[in-house]
Amino acid sequence: MNIATQSDNPRQLRRRRARRRIDLLPYGLVLPLAIFIVGLALIPAAFTIVQSFFTVQPLNPPTRFSGFDNFRRLFSTDAVISSIGNTGLYIVIGVVLSTVLAIFMAVTLQKNFFGRSILIAIMVLPWALPGVVEGIVWANIWNSNTGLLNSLLTSAHLIDNYQVFLGQHRLLTILAIEIVQVWQITPLSTLLIMASLQNIPNDLFEAAELDGSSPWATFRRITLPLIRPGITIAMVQALIQTLNVFDQPYILNGSATAGSSLTMQTYFISFQNLDFGEGYALSLLMAVATMVISLGVLKLVYRPVEF
Amino acid sequence: MRGRTPWLRRIGVLFIVLWSLVPIYWVLNISLQTDAQMSAKPAHYVPPTPSLNNYLSLLTGGGNVPYSIRQSTINIVIECSAATIVTIVLASLAAYSFARMKFRGRNVLFYTVLATMAFPPYITLIPLYRIMTFLGLVNTYTGIVLVYVSGFIPLATWILYNYMLSLPIALEESGQVDGASRMQVLWHVVLPLARPGIVSTAIITFIFGWQQFLFPLVLSSDISTEPLTVVIAALQGKHTVPYTLLSAAGVLAIVVPAVIALALNRYIVSGLLKGSVK
Repeated sequence: MNIATQSDNPRQLRRRRARRRIDLLPYGLVLPLAIFIVGLALIPAAFTIVQSFFTVQPLNPPTRFSGFDNFRRLFSTDAVISSIGNTGLYIVIGVVLSTVLAIFMAVTLQKNFFGRSILIAIMVLPWALPGVVEGIVWANIWNSNTGLLNSLLTSAHLIDNYQVFLGQHRLLTILAIEIVQVWQITPLSTLLIMASLQNIPNDLFEAAELDGSSPWATFRRITLPLIRPGITIAMVQALIQTLNVFDQPYILNGSATAGSSLTMQTYFISFQNLDFGEGYALSLLMAVATMVISLGVLKLVYRPVEF
Repeated sequence: MRGRTPWLRRIGVLFIVLWSLVPIYWVLNISLQTDAQMSAKPAHYVPPTPSLNNYLSLLTGGGNVPYSIRQSTINIVIECSAATIVTIVLASLAAYSFARMKFRGRNVLFYTVLATMAFPPYITLIPLYRIMTFLGLVNTYTGIVLVYVSGFIPLATWILYNYMLSLPIALEESGQVDGASRMQVLWHVVLPLARPGIVSTAIITFIFGWQQFLFPLVLSSDISTEPLTVVIAALQGKHTVPYTLLSAAGVLAIVVPAVIALALNRYIVSGLLKGSVK
């Protein structure tokens, strides 16, 4: 990617040089941004990397080098181990479900029809809502005493007694919580895939139709291969979101281990146990995991497309 | 897909509507009922005697819960607005510089800014908390706004950069030929042309601010700065606040982003696509 600059024609450049050796204006314009990036992103990230090898406990000073001690303690904590499994499940369920739903919605919205723009607005709506409130919204649906799902299933005579969806079976709990997050992240995936769909030249579909290709065959052979770039970006953003899931399990399952995520563990370790070193170590591992898995998805799914 | 049977699209349309709106309808439905009505089995699918009592007690009632809901609403509005304004001003300046000027170190800085977008959001959580503690900015609007800006500014710069690159250069050049300084060109030519992009970026930034939970949970310690999301989560965690009241609080917290998302949808869609496809 090249950054194009078009404003500097030679004459202006010469004039400006004559006035001042170094043009300070562009530096002035980017300075505030640079201060924020360096001070509140790069330095904190460096902090996390370095201090994960230190014992940093406000109640047990001083801060001292301790090698891989934090990492060793992480992997001997049961809650962390079970959260690794939980987070793995959140990722798999969330990425698969949101991608499949997004492809379905994007194909639905592909062609222009009456009311399409209103439908897009409705589709985007869950993206805009805070995760905490989405937790409250869906708690009313999953609730074991008064929830909508229990009520509907009873009305349809599918169950005799109200069921508990959250906090008993691990897989069911995680599925119910992850559906809430999928509700939030699917709109962006849908938009990304829609953008990819719009790049496909229409004659391809017309040619396929002339050749008597069935809708399913057209979807399998033309649409799906050509929207792979969109699907890749959608999966990577879903991956980053699901790996960092916090709001939804925090609200829907409290601190119960049945659904606790790695980000929740980072929070508990750092701000309840006040063991910052161990918290740093866990954040660092999650950052590395995010990058490795993202690259993996990129390698597996992405194929360059040319028209 | 030309030959796609229309019934498939009809199912798709129905699915999108139900999937997006049923959960919102349901929280609205609960918020208009009394505790007794809400406990009915099977549930009331429409409120039997719709009443705004839950909303009234939150908005006008005395006591701790209504007070904290009202105060945290003020907090979230202040924090999101301030973060949006600062982000937009600083990101516009930087984006203009990146899009239209050449200077040593530009590429290094630009790619660094982009790289921070790939950071998992919470890798900086603990250090930011400790930096804010060190600066004495924990539990202040300033501290929260600074952290929000640092989180939102890379994406805002990227969206605005893409937007400014797509603007025709000719108008800016004629401005410079007429003897306007580059800052005058930015103010009188570029910013007015870039207004749709600025609006998109501002909306997206504001909505991101409204969604924040873990950062303010860590950075604010009492009701003087806690945003609505943190207060609602705390009320839910206590298990003493009735679900009907909690649902009403939830509806209050989604009104603003929902209205923005529905009314200004076009800006959101174009902004999100400018920010992610390249």
